[in-house]
Amino acid sequence: MEKILTRNIHKENSPSIEVYEAGGGYQAYRKAIPSMGPDEVTEQVKKSGLRGRGGAGFPCGLKWSFMPKEKNKPHYLLVNADESEPGTFKDRLLMELDPHLVIEGSMLSAYAIRADVCYIYIRGEFVRPAEVMNRAIAEAYAKGYAGRNICGSDWSCELVVHRGAGAYICGEETALMTSLEGDRGYPRNKPPFPAQSGFFGCPTTINNVETLSCVSFIIERGADWFLTIGPDEKNSGPKLYCLSGHVKRPGVYEGPMGLPLMELIHELGGGMLREDRPLKAVIPGGSSVPVLRAEECEVNLDFDSLMKAGSALGSAGIMVMDSSTCMVNALHRIAYFYDHESCGQCTPCRQGTGWMRRILERIENGQGRTEDIDLLKNVADNIEGNTICALGDAAAWPVQSFVKKFRDEFQAHVDAGKCTVLSNA
Amino acid sequence: MFGQEFEKTVDEIVARYPQPRAALLPVLWEIQRHKGWIDGECERWAGERLGVSPAHVHGVVTFYTMYKQRPTGKYHIQLCTTLSCMLRGSDDLLEHLEEKLGIDVGETTPDGKFSLQRAECLGSCGTAPMFQLNDDYHEDLTLEKVDQLLDSLP
Amino acid sequence: MPKFTLDGEEIEAPAGTTILQAALSRGKEIPHFCYHPGLSVVGNCRICLVEVEKAPKLVIACWSPVQDGMVVHTQTEKIKEAQNAVMEFLLINHPLDCPICDQAGECKLQDQAVEYGTGVSRYTEPKLALAKAVDIGKHVMLDQERCIQCSRCIRFCDEITGTGELAFFQRGERSQIGVFPGKRLDNPYSGNVVDICPVGALTLKEFRFKTRVWYLENTPSICAGCARGCNVMVATGTQQQLMTTRGQQDDRIKRIVPRVNPEVNGHWMCDEGRLSHQRLDAVGRLEQAASPAGTPVEWEAAVERAAGQIKTAAEAGRLGLVVSPRLTTETMFAWKRLLDALGGAKVGVHRIERGGDDALLILRDKGANSTGARWVFGEGAAADDVLGAAACGEIDTLVVLGDALDPEDSVQVTEEARSRLQHLVYVGSFEDAAAGQATLVLPAAAWAEEDGTLVNFDGRIQRLRRAHLPRGERRPGWRVAADLAADAGIEMPDWSSAADVLDSLAAGVGPYQGLNEEKIGMLGVPAAAAATGA
Repeated sequence: MEKILTRNIHKENSPSIEVYEAGGGYQAYRKAIPSMGPDEVTEQVKKSGLRGRGGAGFPCGLKWSFMPKEKNKPHYLLVNADESEPGTFKDRLLMELDPHLVIEGSMLSAYAIRADVCYIYIRGEFVRPAEVMNRAIAEAYAKGYAGRNICGSDWSCELVVHRGAGAYICGEETALMTSLEGDRGYPRNKPPFPAQSGFFGCPTTINNVETLSCVSFIIERGADWFLTIGPDEKNSGPKLYCLSGHVKRPGVYEGPMGLPLMELIHELGGGMLREDRPLKAVIPGGSSVPVLRAEECEVNLDFDSLMKAGSALGSAGIMVMDSSTCMVNALHRIAYFYDHESCGQCTPCRQGTGWMRRILERIENGQGRTEDIDLLKNVADNIEGNTICALGDAAAWPVQSFVKKFRDEFQAHVDAGKCTVLSNA
Repeated sequence: MFGQEFEKTVDEIVARYPQPRAALLPVLWEIQRHKGWIDGECERWAGERLGVSPAHVHGVVTFYTMYKQRPTGKYHIQLCTTLSCMLRGSDDLLEHLEEKLGIDVGETTPDGKFSLQRAECLGSCGTAPMFQLNDDYHEDLTLEKVDQLLDSLP
Repeated sequence: MPKFTLDGEEIEAPAGTTILQAALSRGKEIPHFCYHPGLSVVGNCRICLVEVEKAPKLVIACWSPVQDGMVVHTQTEKIKEAQNAVMEFLLINHPLDCPICDQAGECKLQDQAVEYGTGVSRYTEPKLALAKAVDIGKHVMLDQERCIQCSRCIRFCDEITGTGELAFFQRGERSQIGVFPGKRLDNPYSGNVVDICPVGALTLKEFRFKTRVWYLENTPSICAGCARGCNVMVATGTQQQLMTTRGQQDDRIKRIVPRVNPEVNGHWMCDEGRLSHQRLDAVGRLEQAASPAGTPVEWEAAVERAAGQIKTAAEAGRLGLVVSPRLTTETMFAWKRLLDALGGAKVGVHRIERGGDDALLILRDKGANSTGARWVFGEGAAADDVLGAAACGEIDTLVVLGDALDPEDSVQVTEEARSRLQHLVYVGSFEDAAAGQATLVLPAAAWAEEDGTLVNFDGRIQRLRRAHLPRGERRPGWRVAADLAADAGIEMPDWSSAADVLDSLAAGVGPYQGLNEEKIGMLGVPAAAAATGA
């Protein structure tokens, strides 16, 4: 497949607007603003089957269609650049090496939803990517691609980078809005949905960086073209896959939607890190999604295939674990993450993430009991579905899937009072 | 409390938002950039400037991990220890750093040069293990690389 | 109006009502912590989860507006499991403080743990240890361990007082309530956070460790602190408390908390009113008649003497009366009746005014019954005029009806006035300044010691209720007037209770027309007629 999202990243001085435009950038934008209405843009994106690449996989055009067509209040587009899902590092790549791709996609999307301001919420730790984005935004303003009367039209929209300050939960769309309002990043109960009442009660759309980066291609080459990439209309377009863990060549790889997992690991990724340590498990979509055992890894990386396999594409953070991995240790580390990141607003997540972490700590330290394994699963079950936002589910799914698929190892760890894997590796 | 230059910057920041309170996070960043950390006086100032209570400001400062409530070392190291980095040896790196610097996580060296913190996923899993040193990422780390880097810092 | 089904029963509820509100308004219990009818809805405790047919997962009842045709279940197995789960989560870090916690007996966590928990916890890890007994304000103590992070207190300070003293600090399970150092919880309504805290995380310093709530008897009544007339519950000590005061019943007032009245005070009251019962003990209390002050005499003898003095002065046109604006309308009416029958008197109502009106409940006019006084005695009857008349020698006998709540708010009889008076009859409850100057003292009931009615600034007539019996010879002010009338040969109606006097009010004071205790009820009534005057 030709490089689409990553076509510029290896060029010298790729973040500059000159390089971007020399490669055909902003053509879609300059064409669309005068000749297409906002709803037309939305229609194209809807037709293309573009689904959110932040983790939830929600159809993008459909989300935009929830926005009011009349302007009674300011409209906002919020770009979710809070990339904090463990295993994920693709948005950073785009922002650092092709910021104008992100900008063009964001502004086209802002146009589609009649936005007055587009805020790019970048996680606080991405200091350098934020600097790159700010420089690129200045270039875009200079060319009249942002600000007042864009491309000579009567549409005006500001483009502003807003830095987070270290909270995974702010990647949740309603928490992002609350944080942007100058508050602790607390998610909100829904309804109302952001398109009805979002940032300061105004109609708001939140989209992931990679999702928005697809938009200029859809407008330029058409929805039908987008649909030719990937297995079907529900799983379409180019995709960035983040490969990490026990492989020879971890990194971001672009491929069509539906790339086979094994191809990613063994061909693109160079195969397992050590020949004597075969594949044991893969988390295919960022740490929030259920883990797959090695024998379950003959699967394609698209939304529906992974769902059928009992997991999810999520943020496409593919984390590979070989035979040296202690699954108790791995799960403990994941549970630590959710405990650390829980915002604390609602009871099941606030208390449950701490509880699960402590049980796992105890098991790992050799003080586990057999009943702890079922207790762990039950606590996870009690969190799932009962929380304000999906972080609760995200904390529960790894625990449920690890216990389900590696129960023997947990039991062995409990029985032996220590890890039985590391001593064998 | 802060100079005119600073106030002007804050005014520019506030202008980007529909309500002043939304400028709290960037204003706190500006304060931290200026002073190195954020104390009660700064929180009170920010609250007054943006029309929120000081308790609200303190609530925000303590919610986000990157706002510092006390000074840290000249070089503040935040080592990622989440799953992918753990799989690629961050635990060994942590042990090495604690030993080399002679401090535990959360502490600063007596000469004030280095401070060490654990961090959750920093979005650099493809180049694990890694850490963030002040504003910069240092990736594909090995024990040797770490020694070389830290020994070379003025 | 949307019609929906709740556990098989079809219910109509106004659009915008949530499932929880609809259920509660019909007396149906759905457990909840973070929901409070006086505050915004946040939906964070998660215990009000219910099943809505066709919804993919359980929903929280406090957040979900009822839709036409919605079918809701609150008692299914799935719900019970969810309730058990949330309850277990709430308790894993909650300290086992019940034996030393004020909230015990009125604790939502206790009550709902019994109803919706399993009774057993599977948690065997160490509990989070946080700060206990943190002094966060003039009247409030915080125990961070007990807090269940419902955020009611934060919402109160943000939405009701607008002062924002409280916030969450830290994140996740380490989230704690706190105040900013140097900006404590010192707004005039701080005590309300103690009422709304569903657990013992926020406690009132003035009530801490005083008594167990099951030893309290609650009397619905009206605060006498100002003309707002906040509805309250007055809690007095009741049954014998083990190892106290040698088996004597301790019926003193232990605390006052607000009672909900949407027309008057909503859910709240101010701190000054909440602690107003402390004023009752500021100085000594009168239990015996005296003549002069300090020399006890038999009640009958005192009444006979007083009746004679008052009658003589009234007939000579040299009688004055100063009335506290905190007395019941019943008492005011009885004295007016008596004095009119005796030939009249120069009457003045003492004005108690402090500070200003705030945006919430506090009023400058501290007279809980200034309006009742105006209805009975007319506009323009001022205490200063009466004292002035005394100082000029126009009055030689002055009757002072002392304050019902606060000895410092009784009228101050100036030296000039006192020096010209032949007789100063004090009818009241306190050993205050006026009582000390009196030639004759007749003890009368204080605020929580009698039934009656008070009229608030808005003309709302509300029932004051007796929370504990008056000690010694103290009796309602209207009964003192009746006793004097008998000795003075004046015929008064046969009043044996405040309700009887109220009947007379209904006949004699325009706005009271047609009222009785039942009609006034627990929440009071607006004035019957527009007439407010003499």
